[in-house]
Amino acid sequence: MATGEVRLELPAAPEFLRISRLMAAGVASRVGFTLDEVEDLRIAIDEVCFSMVGPRGRAGTITLRYRLDADHLVVEGAGQFSDGLSNEPVVSALSNQILAAVVDECELSAGEEGPRFRLVKRHRPS
Amino acid sequence: MAFDSKEREELRRKFHAYATTRDRALRDDLVTAHMGLAEYLARRFTNRGEPLDDLVQVAALGLLKAVDRFDPERGLEFSTYATPTIVGELKRHFRDKGWAVRVPRRVQELHLRLGSVVSILSQELGRSPTIGEIAKSAAVSEEEVLEAIEAGHAYRFTSLDAPSGNDDEMSLSAELGSEDQGLIDSEHRVTLSPLIAQFPPRERMILHLRFFEGLTQSEIAGRLGISQMHVSRLLARALAQLRTQAEDN
Repeated sequence: MATGEVRLELPAAPEFLRISRLMAAGVASRVGFTLDEVEDLRIAIDEVCFSMVGPRGRAGTITLRYRLDADHLVVEGAGQFSDGLSNEPVVSALSNQILAAVVDECELSAGEEGPRFRLVKRHRPS
Repeated sequence: MAFDSKEREELRRKFHAYATTRDRALRDDLVTAHMGLAEYLARRFTNRGEPLDDLVQVAALGLLKAVDRFDPERGLEFSTYATPTIVGELKRHFRDKGWAVRVPRRVQELHLRLGSVVSILSQELGRSPTIGEIAKSAAVSEEEVLEAIEAGHAYRFTSLDAPSGNDDEMSLSAELGSEDQGLIDSEHRVTLSPLIAQFPPRERMILHLRFFEGLTQSEIAGRLGISQMHVSRLLARALAQLRTQAEDN
């Protein structure tokens, strides 16, 4: 199975999240993820990216790195924001619950220019 | 929708009784008796790219509102009174919760077609199919499949009309077993955030099973007897709605 990395840089606005979801699904299907797993990943990316950009977006961009391996996919994201707002990740209890249910690992942290995240979704052959 | 004179009389009696008692069992009877009207009207909207089962749900909600607001003293036939309410509910569904305008028709159609493709494949394979398998079975490219699945997430909300929790309790009891219903009643109220508690029972159930019980979308589909694509849409819609709600607060 092909391994490698795909990178995507997007304006930090909610209307661009569709592209991040599509990219996640596209990369996941390369590694043979099932529809259930693809759907989970899509929900996770959407949730975590939305937590970064918020309903009205932020000034700047978010960069996403999709790293695919034989049986799992790692997605790392970082905001490059220039609006002087907090670089701390803001995630509601419900979002945390959602993320915990759909991916195997999810870490959020404050980065230099904005919040960062790293999530891992494993493919489970059945 | 044709009732004989005896049934008509019986319904009239129930409407009168309901107007004064507001008894839930009566209301359910009245809704059930008129479901044919809701289904008939829902069918008239099926050429717009939404599955019939979704539309019937919406129409049932309109029917319920009509039953609640109908004043039998005014001498109007119930069906005459209810039709604009149900049609209004369906139209509002398309305005507020329908496909985002930019989803092309061929993508919508593929999305709907994939509903049964995925169901059949899941059954054959005994597991959730991969994107490649879905593409092969539907005779389209993987990219088209991805695009079509994404289309189910293309809900947008111009406004939030908060579902009022018990509005479709009626359709719930028809759909879920008593075990599930018990689960909702006891456990959910305690563990779920008030945000989730506001959803209609079916969405609440799906949110709970996916995010709190850890069932997969295909497992939920099997349990509720609906397609996985439908589960996916309902989840996407609920999550979008939660966001709009958080934003409003």
